[in-house]
Amino acid sequence: MNTKQTYRGRVSQTFLYLGKFLRMFVYQNDWKVLPMAAIIAAAVVFVVGGNLFVTQEGTLMGSFALVCVCLWNGFFNSIQVVCRERAIVKREHRAGLHMSSYVAAQVIYQFLLCVAQTVILLLVCRLAKVALPAQGTITRWGVLDLGISLLLVTFASDMMALAVSCMMKNTTAAMTVMPFMLIFQLLLSGGFFQLSGFAAKLRVVSASYWGLNSVCAIGRYNEQGMVTLWNTVFKFRNIEFMGEKPLLEIIRTIEKEGKVNDFLLWSGSYNQNELFVSTVENVLHCWTLLGVIALVSIVVAIIALEFIDRDRR
Amino acid sequence: MVILSFVLDGGVSILEWLATSIGFLLLARKLGWQKRWQLWIPGLGYLRMGQELDAERDGWGFFITYLLTTVLPFFPWEKAPDKVYLGFILVHLILSVFRLIYRIRLGLTLLRTYHAKKTWLILWIFVPPAMLFILALSDRYHPDSGELDDEVKAGTAPAEIEGAEEHKGFAMKDTGLSIDLRERSVRDLSKKRYLLKDIQLNIPNGSLVLLLGGSGAGKTTFINAIIGYEKADATILLNGSDIYKDYGRMKYRIGFVQQQNLIRGSDTVLHTIDDAARLRIPREVPAEERKKRREDAMALMGLTAGSQGLVGKKSGGMLRRISIAMELVSDPELFVLDEPDSGLDGVIARELFTQLRAIADTGKIVLVITHTPDRVIDLFDKVIVLARDSGRCGRLAFYGSPEEAHAFFERDSMEGVVLRVNSKDAGGEGLADEYIERYARLAAGKEEAAAQ
Repeated sequence: MNTKQTYRGRVSQTFLYLGKFLRMFVYQNDWKVLPMAAIIAAAVVFVVGGNLFVTQEGTLMGSFALVCVCLWNGFFNSIQVVCRERAIVKREHRAGLHMSSYVAAQVIYQFLLCVAQTVILLLVCRLAKVALPAQGTITRWGVLDLGISLLLVTFASDMMALAVSCMMKNTTAAMTVMPFMLIFQLLLSGGFFQLSGFAAKLRVVSASYWGLNSVCAIGRYNEQGMVTLWNTVFKFRNIEFMGEKPLLEIIRTIEKEGKVNDFLLWSGSYNQNELFVSTVENVLHCWTLLGVIALVSIVVAIIALEFIDRDRR
Repeated sequence: MVILSFVLDGGVSILEWLATSIGFLLLARKLGWQKRWQLWIPGLGYLRMGQELDAERDGWGFFITYLLTTVLPFFPWEKAPDKVYLGFILVHLILSVFRLIYRIRLGLTLLRTYHAKKTWLILWIFVPPAMLFILALSDRYHPDSGELDDEVKAGTAPAEIEGAEEHKGFAMKDTGLSIDLRERSVRDLSKKRYLLKDIQLNIPNGSLVLLLGGSGAGKTTFINAIIGYEKADATILLNGSDIYKDYGRMKYRIGFVQQQNLIRGSDTVLHTIDDAARLRIPREVPAEERKKRREDAMALMGLTAGSQGLVGKKSGGMLRRISIAMELVSDPELFVLDEPDSGLDGVIARELFTQLRAIADTGKIVLVITHTPDRVIDLFDKVIVLARDSGRCGRLAFYGSPEEAHAFFERDSMEGVVLRVNSKDAGGEGLADEYIERYARLAAGKEEAAAQ
């Protein structure tokens, strides 16, 4: 008598669960991740925002810090979301829930959270008077390009954490894994640690690496001045050579002629980084890789949950 | 000489080997293990211990890492290139760590079995034979089966009970729930463990059925098998439809309320039940009908008043009702509840069972596990009694009305019935095998009479 009956398909179940997650955003106080994102962004921008997108050193350090904020937001958004309700998901799977629908609903919900967090991060940068890129590389607006980059880093890290959350049996296990994921991302970002051999190859799966490259490219790192050489010269200005102080003379001459900025740009021209080149191809390449990382994580998450029935009761 | 050299060069002194072997032999004598000669083989004592104490994986883990860490050093690694030699050291180190972990896990199992303090683990780590001697020789320590789950407790050979396996006259029916469960077993590495065996019964529609059984009798395993979630060697028909063959569709016709309240606390009661309805009710059912079913289920469970409140703010009793309403809303033909009254006081439990009676009266089969049946036994139509036979396998000890159960077991309460079939270790009378055999004869006689 029930042979012709059909039940809700994957798309319909996705929206059913999306509605549930959006309600839980309000009832479960998940909205607290938004002010938290603002606080973290403000702290970071306060420390590194001064020279962000102004000098090469400031851009590298500031971009790295922005990427770290995105990683932090992404990881914390979803590291516990599935494992904390794993037994419920198992029961619902038994009652007809498709795992792909459940993960799809989580992906959409997390994407919306990531968008909100990225907007907050950019607003905080604007309020802190950070010199955001004026000219875009992909679009006409630098802020939009930067926003897309930061969103993709947040989303990719969010999806990685979602995959981990789907694999872990409880929140304790997930929270144990998370610091290792963070350290892995920080080490492989390529910003401050020179990696070679196998470690360098691992960077391809690092959201921080592609995120840092894209933000520096959008921030036009290679077109900025380098202050390290100027600072070093300044530090050694009183060194005497044959009774004279040649470095001090050079500094005075440059300052007198008002060519400090030219000096910085000149020294910057010798510090070009091909990973940060501001071309459409480079930025799109970074964005694509971030998208691939997110996509692979989503697939891993679905596969991991398909085996949920094997959990011991 | 070769064996002696193997033992000595492998890092195992003859003294340690001798002491460990004797320690295992003493333990084997106390626990009644067979094939004790195996305990003289280095490393095998740990494997046997793991197998005997239901920690076979740890036993194998120890045995394999023991063999590798003993045999690997015999190769002339020092003559190999530096990288290979370093690799060997690294592998040996990792294997040694794993060997230690497995030994600790086995030690914990041993201590748990003997109810010994965990501080003894230090002795086990450094001087295993000393620990074995103490546990084997001291009168203070006695082994216990512990409170493990059905699968771990299950035996490898069901008891041979006359008549129980010859129950061939059973005829399945096209109405109600018809169960022919021949065997439910799991494979644990080398051993096949029997969880359930030879359970045949027909439950008519409109019945409220009590499932009774002591700890480890396999109640939850039985339920999971009949609803098709954990498949057994069985044929289960629900109103003529084979649950196993068409599980994808049949699962929507079965409601199962688990022991725990598996509900999200951060959603409203109304939305929680509405989402369950949307997930489980067929698309062909009009929205109005779906809404009516939701409201009926909520009304029956007394949830209408606080439906806008958050689930997480509700009391334990209300959470049980929400769990039941979530399954009830799909109008299942078979409704299974695992301890729905746990944590509820007598009045609320009675009210809940009255509601379950009302559900059964609508023509559904309601199957319930409860540990406090006597306060509501008048509401039940049938009782299933599962018992764990002497081979540690769950078997059918009775199926009939509560009155028949009282007469069959010569007890005036259901708790008394459970005590009849529970093992003496669990405080029972240990008569499981006897009642399984008696019921098998009774059932065979009934079927023979019905056939004539």
